[in-house]
Amino acid sequence: MTVADLNSGQRAIIKDIDFSHPSSNRVVEYGFTPGQELQVLNKSIFNDPLSVSLRGALIAIRKNDARCIEVILANEH
Amino acid sequence: MSIDTVKEKKLLITLVGPPNSGKTTLFNLLSGKKHKTVNYPGATIEYSISSFLEQYGINANLMDSPGIISLIPASPDEKVTIDNLYIHPEFGKPDLIIVTADASQLSRHLLLARQIIDSGFKTIVVLTMNDLLAEKSFSIDDKELSVLLNCEIIKFDPRKSDGINTLIDIIKSNLNGDTKTINKRVRITDDDILCIYREIEVIEKHVLIDLNKDNHEDPRVAKANRELVIAGAGSMIKLPDKLTVNIDKILLHKYWGLFIFIFVMSLMFTSIFWLASPVMGLVDDSIQALGNLVTDTFGNYWYSDLISKGIIGGFGVVLVFLPQILILFFVLGILEDSGYLARGAMIIDRPLSMLGLNGRSFVPMLSGFACAIPAIMAARTIQNKRERYLTIFIIPLMSCSARIPVYGLLLAFLFPGKYFLSGLILSLIYVTGVIISLIVAGIINRYKKTFLKFEDNSSFIMELPVYRVPKITNVIKNTYSNAVQYLQKAGPTIITFSLIIWLLTYFPNNAPDTISKENGNTASISKLIESERISNSYAAQIGKTIEPVMRPLGLDWRVGVSLIATFAAREVFVSSLALMFKVTETDDNMSATLIKEMKNAKISGTNEYLFTTATSAGLIVFFMLALQCISTIAITKKETGGWRIPILQLIIYTGSAYLLAFVTVNGLRFIGIN
Repeated sequence: MTVADLNSGQRAIIKDIDFSHPSSNRVVEYGFTPGQELQVLNKSIFNDPLSVSLRGALIAIRKNDARCIEVILANEH
Repeated sequence: MSIDTVKEKKLLITLVGPPNSGKTTLFNLLSGKKHKTVNYPGATIEYSISSFLEQYGINANLMDSPGIISLIPASPDEKVTIDNLYIHPEFGKPDLIIVTADASQLSRHLLLARQIIDSGFKTIVVLTMNDLLAEKSFSIDDKELSVLLNCEIIKFDPRKSDGINTLIDIIKSNLNGDTKTINKRVRITDDDILCIYREIEVIEKHVLIDLNKDNHEDPRVAKANRELVIAGAGSMIKLPDKLTVNIDKILLHKYWGLFIFIFVMSLMFTSIFWLASPVMGLVDDSIQALGNLVTDTFGNYWYSDLISKGIIGGFGVVLVFLPQILILFFVLGILEDSGYLARGAMIIDRPLSMLGLNGRSFVPMLSGFACAIPAIMAARTIQNKRERYLTIFIIPLMSCSARIPVYGLLLAFLFPGKYFLSGLILSLIYVTGVIISLIVAGIINRYKKTFLKFEDNSSFIMELPVYRVPKITNVIKNTYSNAVQYLQKAGPTIITFSLIIWLLTYFPNNAPDTISKENGNTASISKLIESERISNSYAAQIGKTIEPVMRPLGLDWRVGVSLIATFAAREVFVSSLALMFKVTETDDNMSATLIKEMKNAKISGTNEYLFTTATSAGLIVFFMLALQCISTIAITKKETGGWRIPILQLIIYTGSAYLLAFVTVNGLRFIGIN
């Protein structure tokens, strides 16, 4: 499962980054690192790009770039 | 070399920071009045360099740099930025680097700071947005952070500017003594970044103070608590700004978001036209009055004509757009500073990416409505080369402000007195321009392998800044420097061409002597002399040569000459048309007289009316598409590093403009509208 598969409002924890993806460098630089919790907040028209809350910041990211971020769903509380 | 020419080398302080970390605001606060824009050698990235404000007493150069999030380059342009950060060919190594970092998202923004420190630079980290952090009831232990990072840390919010003296003192003390930095380029890999992030996360735990708890507890318990709080899931610090998230629920709503976006954009353009048009009229009138004053004072000689029409007229052309450009950059600045512009880019990214563009193309396209020159320069923020070139390619189709006087004249001719209808058609012209540009982008994207032979990864990742009340002084300062850039870039070209066109329309200056004897009135004599001069001028000769090209559009050599003149700047069309049609009225209503003349004008040597509904509509279509601006061609050549793109643009746009104008004129005639 990747960030691109998450619905609006879903929280997840980053499991791994697919370093074969051409955008992986950028994604890591923006702070998407394994272990971090994130939440998809909004989706733009046509469901792309997504706005993601990460490390206290909001980041807009295209679905295609988000595909290199592998996640597991966080437990809802 | 004499001793005098050997200057002592000024110290160099470079400002570095991620986007939205307050870097430019800090630059504006510290820098003196004299900004200098310089290119990074080898790239199209520009940055500002300036001395410090005199009151601070720091004798050093301050260099701004484009916002980067790490020292690993993502594009060729970014590579040059980073190379030049390490050692600049002209200014050398920085003696001190000031890194800005948003305190409310410390773990992300310390990445760059950490890389800079690791490279061995003497570094000061300025923590900004401390108020945002305080809203989450956290604070940063700057002393602890200073120890952990092994560099100077100062909390300072450039938007509020209190405490600037402390910052100045720190800068001064860091410049004294040994400023030699032993920096080395560190090779950074993906694994390194992951490591740095892990370290930063540990550092963050140590330095964050929970304001709710720490006050009443034993310091050691507090510190232990801190680490627990930060480590805990759903910790406040990991949550984004609450207000921003709530506003985004509306502004980034899946459907409403787009609707609001379109509304905001329409509002922006309406305001630009409403606010600018009276000022533009004022500028136009004053320039004309000044020109007339010169003619009246010096009499009817070639030099008075040169001054009034060539020089003052040229300056007028440059100045008349200034109100629009100022308002556009001001409104853009407000939108950017408030945080909305990044959202706009996100909302429009998907539709634009279908056409081979990028969400980041949005701001350059928007600026294209003021003037293509700053717009093409703004395309530099697009990392992907293909998307950047495609954006540059379609920018000339955005209806720039230079076309407004032309449309204004033609619409006033077509629909006299019907202001509402004219306004409606004008909006239609703008919308059509955008639609055509999108179609062009789509077509080129489909055949991209033929036109733009680059294969690189297209991506869109962008930080969405927290919504804030825009800081007006900051916006004004940026607007000012953009306007200065426009004047410097476009001014000389426009004035040069204005002079060339004056030369072509004035010489060889054979006015027949007989005129003065036939007429009594001096005003009408000078008018007749002038019109004679023009119809015998070099410009007219050129115009007559190209008349066969103009005839299919139902136009004659006089319009042809005016069209050639538009290569200086499009709105020259109106003034040169006025010259061609012998409108030399010195009263305040030139365009009314011109419209009257246009109504009666007949194609030379025939009984056919020159300006009909069909030919005027054809002219509008021509102006919508044709690339007739030398400055645009020049800047495109510079930004794309070759003639290929501008020449393609010239052929495609001007060719199709001619073709479509032909279709319009003859189509309208065919259905009986003439």
